[in-house]
Amino acid sequence: MKKKWMFLTASVLTASLALAACGGASDTGGETTDSEGGGSGDEQIKLRMSWWGSQERHDMTFKIIEMYEKENPNIKIEPEFTGWDGYFERMAAQAAGNNLPDIMQQNFGEYLNLYASQGLLADLNEFKDSGDLDLSKVDDSIVQSGMKDDQLLGIPSGTNALTAVYNAEMLEEAGADLPTDDWTWEDFEEIAYKVHDELDTYGTRSYEAGNIFEYYLREQGFALFNEDGTALGYDDDQILTDYLTRAKQMVDDGVAPGYDVIQQIQGIEDELIVHKNAPFDLRWSNQMKTMSMAADYTFDLNVLPGDNISQGMYLKPAMLWSVSENSEHKEEAVKFINFFTNTKEVFDTIGSDRGVPINNEIREEMRADLDEIETKIYDYIDKVTENSSPIDTNFPAQSSEILTELNTIDERVMYGQITPEEGAAEFRKSAEMILGN
Amino acid sequence: MAQNQTGKETVVPVKPPFKKPFKRPKRLRTGYEELSGYAFISPFIIGLVAFTLYPIVYSLYLSFTNYGMGGEYEWIGLANYERMFTTDDTWRQSLKVTFLYAGTAVPLRLVFALMVAVALNKIVEAVGLYRTMLYLPSVVGGSIGISIMWRQLFGNDGAFNSVLASIGLPTHSWLGDPGTAIWTLVALYGWQFGSSMLIFLAGLRNIPKTFYEASAVDGAKPWQQFFKITIPLLTPVILFNTIMQTIQGFMAFTPSFIVTNGGPMNSTLLYVLYMYRRAFEFFDMGYASAMAWVMLIIIAIFTAVIFKSSDKWVHYND
Repeated sequence: MKKKWMFLTASVLTASLALAACGGASDTGGETTDSEGGGSGDEQIKLRMSWWGSQERHDMTFKIIEMYEKENPNIKIEPEFTGWDGYFERMAAQAAGNNLPDIMQQNFGEYLNLYASQGLLADLNEFKDSGDLDLSKVDDSIVQSGMKDDQLLGIPSGTNALTAVYNAEMLEEAGADLPTDDWTWEDFEEIAYKVHDELDTYGTRSYEAGNIFEYYLREQGFALFNEDGTALGYDDDQILTDYLTRAKQMVDDGVAPGYDVIQQIQGIEDELIVHKNAPFDLRWSNQMKTMSMAADYTFDLNVLPGDNISQGMYLKPAMLWSVSENSEHKEEAVKFINFFTNTKEVFDTIGSDRGVPINNEIREEMRADLDEIETKIYDYIDKVTENSSPIDTNFPAQSSEILTELNTIDERVMYGQITPEEGAAEFRKSAEMILGN
Repeated sequence: MAQNQTGKETVVPVKPPFKKPFKRPKRLRTGYEELSGYAFISPFIIGLVAFTLYPIVYSLYLSFTNYGMGGEYEWIGLANYERMFTTDDTWRQSLKVTFLYAGTAVPLRLVFALMVAVALNKIVEAVGLYRTMLYLPSVVGGSIGISIMWRQLFGNDGAFNSVLASIGLPTHSWLGDPGTAIWTLVALYGWQFGSSMLIFLAGLRNIPKTFYEASAVDGAKPWQQFFKITIPLLTPVILFNTIMQTIQGFMAFTPSFIVTNGGPMNSTLLYVLYMYRRAFEFFDMGYASAMAWVMLIIIAIFTAVIFKSSDKWVHYND
């Protein structure tokens, strides 16, 4: 009896230890998916393509892939898609296995720069020169946003801007003023409090710290990172203290929901503004289409509040199309990106879900038959184009971790574990440490 | 001792089954016998080397480098370990959470499994049905689906709060409160008691009925029987289950990843989840490898301690 149990215990123990070590080791081994890369020459070529998004986006993207495959019978595109959560972790596992998809939906800023720093993305300049990639109808400033160190690493799928999206009906019902192009944070808060008092709903969704704090900095003439991305781009911690104090006050007063509520939102179709639980939300313009399809009314779009709005506002590539360095079919991958960028039918299908088209001609042609919310998005992007400053591109490779840290601190302040002052100081300390200063 | 139908003892010819001297059947030696033996075990050997040994050794090497993801990397000695033990507050937090989790969830699961096993052992009819039903949560337990269900169950508008509200009790934001979020995960772990339960059940079946009968004759109460007979005779099984579950508890990942994603305020950030983040969100592979090795050592120490202590409390019935 003793022998039997000892043996069993010992053998299971050995197996578990092996498993435990393996759990760690698999980080490095990466996950190998079954991609054979396809044949050679003019035969059937398989391209793997990945993106994140909502179900709407998945469906629309399938149609575009179908369209492309019909025109190019020798190309077979294998889609790999998830929601935003987990997308970059999945990509990271593939990157570790040197197995990134041929066509990859990338994100501007922290992610593009992180991938660039590891040499994971192909430089598309040669394809631009060879004519496979036609960017002649795209503004230079937009092409620029896909560049890092003179390498063209991503083609914007469309243009995007932060917006204060609102429910005009709720504001009117509460007897509040409608937002204007030159409103301040005080104006914004006044409306939010009024709606909260009158309608007994939230006055606004609480802010997503990464995006809104960055805007808050820009609007006051600073940036999140300094020019060469080696330190924070502002010296006075009072700015973050102010930002956190404002945000916390609203949460404390019940005007904005706390993290316990935010955490339960499953996808953008489930946001407070969709269910008329709040009249305001500060987020990206390309999300309006999906959100308004989930809601039974149409939103209105306004610029974010502030004292120097045009200094704070900027156009951003909604997302980028990149080709991985390990791809065996770079040229074919680029041709698909070219198709996506320069074909009107693509945008007839996808609308502004991946941003407003960057090809100037297509953008103008599209105007003719836009639905209500898309018209608003196009008009809004036009407005921001004229009243904005260039996007900051100086994100260090560690910025993903720094933004996570900012969110953690935001969370701790909202829960009242630390004060805004402490949060601001701690953020600086952590950021400096992550940047290795 | 064999008995025939009438109950009268008969003499059965004693025929020891294994005493017969083993005689190799005559066969031509081809010289390939060893080879074919290796061929048969090769799937295991190749799997072990390629998917276990090599990655283990490689991850040990990586833990001394600043390997990111592709790209250049260099040997940095113990810097990853130094950073972990001196400056990384989040690492400390994740370790704290993991100890709290393993320290409460494992006993909860074991006690629960034992209680259910004892109850099941008493049931005579349809025991297979009950056993299957009770084992079910463990079959589906590690899955994403259950974690998502758990998130709904304990959500602000979830089933748990609805029940509370319907009987007039105050509701609570179970997942949103840093003080309670971890306990929803502990409850999830405790709920998946099936595999331990089955092993306990097998152990209970092994305890000779005669002990209970004899003690009943001597006037032992059920609880006395439980503590004086069942528990002592079950200690080898308890040891086995404890070690198994402790290792599993330390390595838990899915619940904190899906149900709470480490939040709120990292109050449910289990060690493996943080390791995953370092590796796949921050491209900090070398550091994550170092974390994996530290976890390996922690599990080894715990297991060794439990093993060592077993001399004191495990009774082998032989």
